[in-house]
Amino acid sequence: MIVEFKNIYKNFGAVQALDNVSFLIGNAEIHGLLGENGAGKSTLMNILGGVLPPTSGTIVIDGVEFQHLTPHQAVELGISFIHQELNLVNDLKVFENLFINREITKGKIYLDKKEMIRKSNEVFKRMNISIDPTLYVRELDTLEKQLVEIARAILFESKLIIMDEPTTALTDKEINNLFSIMRELKKNGISCIYISHKMPELFTICDRYTVLRDGKFIASGFFKDIDENKATELLVGRKIIEEKDIHRPQLQTETVLEVNDLSCPPYFHDITFSVKKGEVVAITGLFGDGRGELSEALFGARKVANGEIIKNGKKLNLSSIKQVMKSGIGMIPRNRKERSIIKDMNILNNVSIAHFNAKHKKFFISNKEEIERFEKNRKVTNIKANSPKDPITSLSGGNQQKVIFARWFELDSDVYLLDNPTQGIDVGAKFEIYKLINYLAEQGKSIIVFSSEFPEIYKICHRCIIMYRGKINKIMNHDELNEVDMMFYSTGSNRKES
Amino acid sequence: MADKKITKEKTKVYIQTKVWPFLKNILINHNYVVSLILLLIIGRIASSNFLTFANIMNLVKSSTFIGIIALGMTMVIISGNIDLSVGSILAFTAANTAIMFNNTENVWLSLGYAILVGTLLGFINGFFIGKAKVASFIVTLATMAAFRSLTIQQGQGGPILINQAAYYSILRNLGYGTFLKIPYLVWIFIIIVLLMLFLMTKTKFGRYVYAVGSNEKAAKLSGINVDRIKIYIYSLTGLLTGIAAFLYVARFGSVDTATAGKSFELDAIAAVAIGGTSMAGGKGFIQGTFFGIVVLYAIDSVLSALRVPAFVNDLIKGILILGAVLLQKVLNNRKANN
Repeated sequence: MIVEFKNIYKNFGAVQALDNVSFLIGNAEIHGLLGENGAGKSTLMNILGGVLPPTSGTIVIDGVEFQHLTPHQAVELGISFIHQELNLVNDLKVFENLFINREITKGKIYLDKKEMIRKSNEVFKRMNISIDPTLYVRELDTLEKQLVEIARAILFESKLIIMDEPTTALTDKEINNLFSIMRELKKNGISCIYISHKMPELFTICDRYTVLRDGKFIASGFFKDIDENKATELLVGRKIIEEKDIHRPQLQTETVLEVNDLSCPPYFHDITFSVKKGEVVAITGLFGDGRGELSEALFGARKVANGEIIKNGKKLNLSSIKQVMKSGIGMIPRNRKERSIIKDMNILNNVSIAHFNAKHKKFFISNKEEIERFEKNRKVTNIKANSPKDPITSLSGGNQQKVIFARWFELDSDVYLLDNPTQGIDVGAKFEIYKLINYLAEQGKSIIVFSSEFPEIYKICHRCIIMYRGKINKIMNHDELNEVDMMFYSTGSNRKES
Repeated sequence: MADKKITKEKTKVYIQTKVWPFLKNILINHNYVVSLILLLIIGRIASSNFLTFANIMNLVKSSTFIGIIALGMTMVIISGNIDLSVGSILAFTAANTAIMFNNTENVWLSLGYAILVGTLLGFINGFFIGKAKVASFIVTLATMAAFRSLTIQQGQGGPILINQAAYYSILRNLGYGTFLKIPYLVWIFIIIVLLMLFLMTKTKFGRYVYAVGSNEKAAKLSGINVDRIKIYIYSLTGLLTGIAAFLYVARFGSVDTATAGKSFELDAIAAVAIGGTSMAGGKGFIQGTFFGIVVLYAIDSVLSALRVPAFVNDLIKGILILGAVLLQKVLNNRKANN
């Protein structure tokens, strides 16, 4: 399918979300769409999917000009949209999801399950994957769910598949698997629009790119003609902070946190490590390594079977989150939308909520104190907001995360647990988060970062703990770190399979 | 001439930046105010006696019992839960308060007893919802049936009567008397509204209620003891229902165990909805519920002023509730799209 955007404008009230965007997506092409959060990618895709009408401009699809599409037309033309939040019904079976709203029936009423299962198997075979169509979607892992969505697109002969950050929840192996399927689709003449923040992936899989910034078209071209630095420059519109701005502060000798033989079957076993003052330790691994559960356990949010945590020589009381907070441990949870943001509250109240719990002795709240606290933290975290009374949902992902950092800065903890702190935020904001982590380490705080991105770990950490199936497989110092070895230990290749 | 132009411009800017956003905010978040004003205007047109001080006081007075309960309901709904048992808690507490009063003939002891019993019943709800983590709809549906049944058992199917001599000499005045021309009931209602408003907007506890309703997981990971907050919320709702039960006894002088407080929960939920509180939790206003309950009673009053047969009251109420919530939704969506 060939899609051409011609002078697309879109206004939301006074806000110009898209400002004269024109570019072309070729036949059997994987087209990388780049832009920071708020650059207008989603708006443009929603226009293509018929969800929003453009204010002006046209879309030409295979030679036919459309003023604005309806969702129904988009589906008829063969455009499928695979959303960041997967659109599958967990409590239905795989084949039921595949055929939802397009069920095959016998005599109009009776569902022809056999035929639907047969067709599902057929499509999975074409994709070279093995998923049992009679399983409940609930039982699938994230990659399989993603693949089911793609299978649905193929099943109904989509000509263009839009993928919005499909790899955020996937491990490297799964990403490679996804990519080989995408290449297969390309051979069959299917085009793909690939939206992602991850540069290495874009360079691996995409043929051409288009960069949007602040709703404007910036550039289009072939990936083979540019490098990552150039792409980032186009994306951000200015030279981003040089890597040398991120440095790892000198280690101090004092040990702050000791974890001894911590176990929580079946997730993790016998975890023992320690963290020094001013040290940044990364904990990494692949899906099923148990590090998500470990992060919760360290914060008292998950009961452990045995083991102890010692902070500054004192055994930690893990009975409740509040106890752990009071002992000087702060946590930025993964999955911001689900676990951090209180969406109905404004920025100010979002910052205050942890403070009230651990430090605020009085029953009453003072607005003045609240604003003072916020301003103090705003300076450190560099939150960009019009007014602290704006709803938190009005901020970009990066700024939301900074608000969450501010929430925990307010408690002045000694140890910070950061679980996937740069999830779903753009390049510029990522660097700001790294700088915040730097800042914390310089203040003599101890930081444990749970992450699966090698470049990130390499940039910020003194040491990296690699987990495999719930156990510590290897601990590497910064000077030993390299991506190949990290992969080697994450996949458990050093262990004889038992 | 030029001056006039400038003032005109200024007025225009003023309207655009100050007046219009203010009006919009009222229309979207506080449209119960509009409903109330409309009802009062209709009432005034229908009957010249409608907008008298006495009639307005009557309106507020009759909404006191469900109104106090609805304040608790607001808190429950903001936290993302529901309480169907308030009507039965009122009946049980009122019945037992009447018995207590008969035995002691002491107003303060009876009040204390009502508060204690109400809080205890609320705590039972809170325990199952907070600790045992059963859905609030199910827990309170069960306790609604159970508490009602206990009450009827106590009254052997009939009413629980109050020692008339004692009632007339010390308790009745609370239900019918006035202070500065304003009924005691209205004073008490207003004071509780202000206290609840204060609790929900100016204290840590209030913040936690909103946080739990908006994102329970995030609240938990911020260290909030969510289970305990839920227990507090239900206990406090029970406490408020206990106060309402005491006032009910003072006002009516007897408790019919089968019908006292029947369907109070529905009117309370309706008042909360009209008052602009989101049924999904996380958003809501105490003051909204106050207006909501007054609107609900104003409908009755206006309809009788219009000489509309009382049979269609609930129809009109239903339409009004749907209309108010629909308006909030439509305007909110418009806000999101712009």
